[in-house]
This record gives sequence, C-alpha cells and structure tokens, in this order.
Amino acid sequence: MSDAAAPLLAVSDLETHFPIRRGLFRRVVGQVRAVDGISFTIQRGRTLGLVGESGCGKTTAGRSILRLVEPTAGSVRFAGREVRAERPATLRSLRRRMQIVFQDPYGSLNPRMTVRALLEEGLLVHRMGDSRERLRRMTAALERTGMPAATLARYPHEFSGGQRQRIAIARAVVLEPEFLVLDEPISALDVSIQAQVVNLLVELRRELGLTYLFVSHDLSVVEYISDDVAVMYLGRLVETAPAADLYARPLHPYTHALFSAVPSVEAERRRRRIILPGDVPSPARPPAGCRFHPRCPLAEAVCREVDPPATVVGGHRVHCHVAARELSAGDAAAASARIASLLAAGGGPPDGTAKLRGDAAEEVSPSSPSGSGKATP
Amino acid sequence: MPLLEIRNLVTAFHTPAGRVPAVDGVSLSIERGTTLGLVGESGCGKSVTAMSVLGLVASPGRIEAGQILLDRDGRSIDLVGLPERQLRTIRGGRIGMIFQEPMTSLNPVFTVGNQVTEAVRLHQKVSRQAARARALELLRLVRIADPERRLDEYPHQLSGGMRQRVVIAMALACEPDLLIADEPTTALDVTIQAQVLELLADLRQRLGMAILLITHDLGVVAETCDEVAVMYAGRIVERAAAASLFARPLHPYTIGLLAARPEHRRAAADPLAAIPGMVPQPRDFPAGCRFHPRCPFAREPRCTAELPSLRELEPGHLVRCHYAGDLGDPATVPAEARAE
Repeated sequence: MSDAAAPLLAVSDLETHFPIRRGLFRRVVGQVRAVDGISFTIQRGRTLGLVGESGCGKTTAGRSILRLVEPTAGSVRFAGREVRAERPATLRSLRRRMQIVFQDPYGSLNPRMTVRALLEEGLLVHRMGDSRERLRRMTAALERTGMPAATLARYPHEFSGGQRQRIAIARAVVLEPEFLVLDEPISALDVSIQAQVVNLLVELRRELGLTYLFVSHDLSVVEYISDDVAVMYLGRLVETAPAADLYARPLHPYTHALFSAVPSVEAERRRRRIILPGDVPSPARPPAGCRFHPRCPLAEAVCREVDPPATVVGGHRVHCHVAARELSAGDAAAASARIASLLAAGGGPPDGTAKLRGDAAEEVSPSSPSGSGKATP
Repeated sequence: MPLLEIRNLVTAFHTPAGRVPAVDGVSLSIERGTTLGLVGESGCGKSVTAMSVLGLVASPGRIEAGQILLDRDGRSIDLVGLPERQLRTIRGGRIGMIFQEPMTSLNPVFTVGNQVTEAVRLHQKVSRQAARARALELLRLVRIADPERRLDEYPHQLSGGMRQRVVIAMALACEPDLLIADEPTTALDVTIQAQVLELLADLRQRLGMAILLITHDLGVVAETCDEVAVMYAGRIVERAAAASLFARPLHPYTIGLLAARPEHRRAAADPLAAIPGMVPQPRDFPAGCRFHPRCPFAREPRCTAELPSLRELEPGHLVRCHYAGDLGDPATVPAEARAE
C-alpha cells in the first residue's frame, strides 16, 4: 500500500466487551458486547460520522480507539502504529496526537481548576514548551475557538454551556493533535448555540487539517459535517457509505427506519414513517443471526439464523440479507427504492414469512431475542 | 371558550441575588382536542409556564400576576390562587402531566401496578380490584405488550420507552381534558420517540384530549402540533397555527432558529446560519426587545429601549417585534454579541 493511500486511522474487527460479574467471588457470568467487531478507516483530513441510538456502542467505540477503555480484540492502527500494542510511555506520545471532546461540557471540565490549569495540564504532561511558550499556545488555542485570552484566569462555572464546549475544544487543540474523537459534542447545547459550535468545528478542521470521528445521534448534523457515515446497531456497523450516498440511497432497513423517524420541519424532507416495533435488545444477549431481525419488518428465515456478511457496492457497505439480494438484482438506487417500498408496505417480504407491525408485536423483550412475532421459520 | 386560557402570567423567583422573572407576561390558549406546542431554549420559561398551570411552582418561585382559566363543564375557574385541596383534584384529574425523564415520575421501589392503580384510586373511589382492572386497561391503551406481566414488574425492569408509556398511562388514569407533556421524548431515542409521538397523537384523537407539548425540537412541533407558541427570555415572541409559522416565520428569532438547521446546507464549505451570542438567563434579560442583542435586524433606538407588543400581523399570527413583516436588510450585529 502506498503511503498516500494509507488511512490515518484503520480500525479492524474491534471488540470491546465488558464482563458481567456476580456473586461472592465476582465470577464472570456474561459479557456486554458493547462493541462487537467493527471495521472502518478514516483518511487524513476527512470526517467519519458514527450514528446510532443509545446503547448501540458508538461512545464505547470512540473511547476504545483512544484506549480510554481497553478493547478486548481487534486492531486500531493510527498513523501506521498499532495503538493496542503501545506500552504506556509510547501510548502517551500517541495520545497527544489523538484527542477527545466529550458531550457534557459541565462534567468534562474540573470545576476546581482554572481554564489555564485545565489547558496547561496536557502541555505539561507532554512537555510542550517552557512557561512562555505554553502561555502562547494556550492563548492561541482559545482565540481559535473564539474565546478571549482573559478566559485563562477564570473558572468553568463562569461560562455558559456553549462557551464551556469551546474551552473543551481549546483544551483538545492546544496539544496540536491530528485526530479528534468528538463524542456528541453539541447534544447538550441549546439549539441556537449548536450551529455556532458546528461552524467552529468545521473551521478548525479546515485550518488545522484535522481528522474527525464525529459520534452523534443527530442525523442532520452528521450529514452536514461528515464525509462518510457509519450506522451502528447493537455493537455492529450495519451500513457504511459516503454521506451523500447514504442519505440519498440508504440500504439497510434500520437506516431507513432511523432516517424516517427524525421529525422534520420541512414537509418535503419528511419520509414516510417506519415505526419499528419494540426496543433495542440488550447487548449482553444479542439476537442470533442478524441482530436487527427481531425489529425488522423485512426479516426472513435466513435473518434469524445467519449473521449477514458485508455486501460492498462502490464505497457503500451493508450487512443485510435482503439488501444483498436486491443489490444482486439491480443497482444501489433501485435496491434502496425497493427496500423503501417494501418497508412502506408494512413488511412482508416476497416469501411472506414474517410480518411484524402494529400493536400485537409492540414489545420485543430483551430476554427473548428470537421473539419475532408470529413468524414461522 | 378555550379549554385553557393563560392571561398575562408572571411567575418570578425571589433569590438572594434578586427577583428573577422566569415567566414575564405570557398569554396562551388551548382549544379542546388540539395540540399546542410551546417551543424555546433553556431558561426561556417554558417549563415554569407548565409548572404554573399545575400549581407546582416551588418556593422561592411565586405566581405574581395573571390568570389561568380552565373550562370545567362550561364554567371557567381560575387556577391561580385556588386552594391546594381543590388544585389537587384538578391536577391528575382534569390535567394530566408527563415529564422528560420517566424515572422522576416513577417510584423505583413500587411495582408498575402499584403506581398505576394509585393514580386511579387517588381520583376515583373504586375497589382495589376495579383499580387493577383499570390499570390493565390503561397499559393496553398505551400499547404495552403483555400488560399482566408488566403490572408486577418494577420500573428498572422496563426500557426507557416503556417507562414513558407507563407514565403516560398514569397521566391518562382519570381521562384528563388536558395533558401537559414537558419534553416527553427528549430522553428517548429517535425510533422510540417516533413510537411515543405516534401514541400521543392517537390518544389525543381517541380521547379528545388537548395536549400542551413543551419542547425545544422544531421538527417535533412541525409534525405533531396544531398551534405553536415560541418563547424567548420569559415571553411569547410568536404565536400562530403550525402551518403558518413554518411556512412564514415572522419573528427574527424564529427565522434564525429555522435557518440554523443543518438541513438548509449541503456542503460544509457553506457555514450554518448560526444565531450569534448567548441564550440570556432570567437574571439578566436585556432591556427593550429581549432578542435585540442577538438580532441581525435590530435598530436603534427602538429595539434597544422599547418593549415590542404582541401584535396580530396576519389573522391568527401574532408576533412580538417592532419591525416584523418589514425587517429590512440584516444590520451589522454588534461585535460583543458575536462571540458567544
């Protein structure tokens, strides 16, 4: 592989499982498969949006890449180095190059430290410059994020949510990283402030040549900021594609449902709503076969038994048996339209096995992952 | 006569730092069987408005002025100043309520059945058995599958979406005329939010109940409400039928909120039309029009000094802005308002 084509970040088969311990001897009785085998790459200067609902593992995925939580398997290659193989001393030098901004600017900034102490901490750890040089870097980072230099002497509580998030971003960029994990960076902010912070992130990406992993449940912001988007469900990526491609031609039934569920102000943007039955099952007991099958209106016999492999068309990657069959019959646009019309018809795939809609199949209990309505395999 | 009419409501908090007018002259009305969306950002006073209707404003807060008129079988009663005993029969009886986080409304140490039957028996003199039967019926109404089993479960055994359904079931126990829903889906995922919104719309139709939906999400309002009131800094700045508001927003704040949505932009080279400045907090609401420090259309001296009145610019479309309908070109926004 030539150097130009090598991605800045390459994640393959990443797994992060958390043990469930019970009893006197804290015996391990199970695993929460928060991240259960995901693969993606991000080229330098590009942004990958990672979307999904709460509990799907998107936050754990972001933290596993930085080893803020230890992955249990798989590989994370950053700038040609295997992050998982690094020892503490060398990991530290990598960490300077990969930073994270958290969702909650109230929780992520220590209220007992001045902004100066918060920003200087990382510079001291990484031995970046003497005291004058550090001050210069901190002032510059704050200015980049739209905060005056006087901010340094103040405490986080003196600022609004939007300003705190700017400070959190300044704390990340002061170390001159190449890559940022942005974990729901605008979700805790007021609507009129969100656009300001999104604009700031886009500006920083352009000026500093940053690469982002943008983790969010807000589909319209992800569409705006991302080059590529990955949709996560129950520890797995179900679909990955260039943003424009994914939003125009979603293939996976879950992606269709997710997009259709977003309420929109514009009538013409509103998609025909696909109401998914039930809740997301527990990641401690993921369903067999395709993990989405208990909620999927198009689920067939094969979906309950066989974990769908990836089908790749151009830059579009999808894990779905139905999508794979439709793609073998036509191009992505035709397949997307066909899946949309099947979903609009309320499920009922060609072979007529499963129909899962309406009141009767409302709740699918986590304890019975195979509870797929009246389907007869 | 509307089901609920709020007239010039003022609710203020008396703190050591001084008087904080969270709601400062709000007037609203809701017709039977309709949904009114009350939209705004944190600190705008939308939740305090709801708490005032419910008589649940906690000390040091106090309703200082205004009327909250509820139509009760053709007779209008003012909820402001009503004795707590009478208020209690209305709250949960005539007016049901659900909040953002279902766990604030559910007691973790009692079963779902205990809590739903309690809601029934607080307002209706029925036997335990009859109350349990009613609870079962309510759980079916909010489409909880396997309701017999759920009655004996504890809240922690339910998912977030199911908990919110239980809270809705409790709110519906006495077939209220009005349901106040304060950010009912904000804590839920989009696919679950879609389920709950659909449920609320269906219940409204079946039970003929009116809904006051408090939210910050314009998309939710556009899809579920008949009427909309936009709140900013303690006041209503715009009120209209939902279709009219979204087709032709008149207040610069509403225009700004709609323009800032990323759906408006395709390429990241094109920055979002952000509203500059900060959301003001009740202790330091600006003089004049409260939006003027962030308004690209603000003009001296009128906007900075004179409070605009809520005027009817088009039939049924009210707006609190001196220049609405004739905003002119955006002026240069003052530098201090730009950096948030």
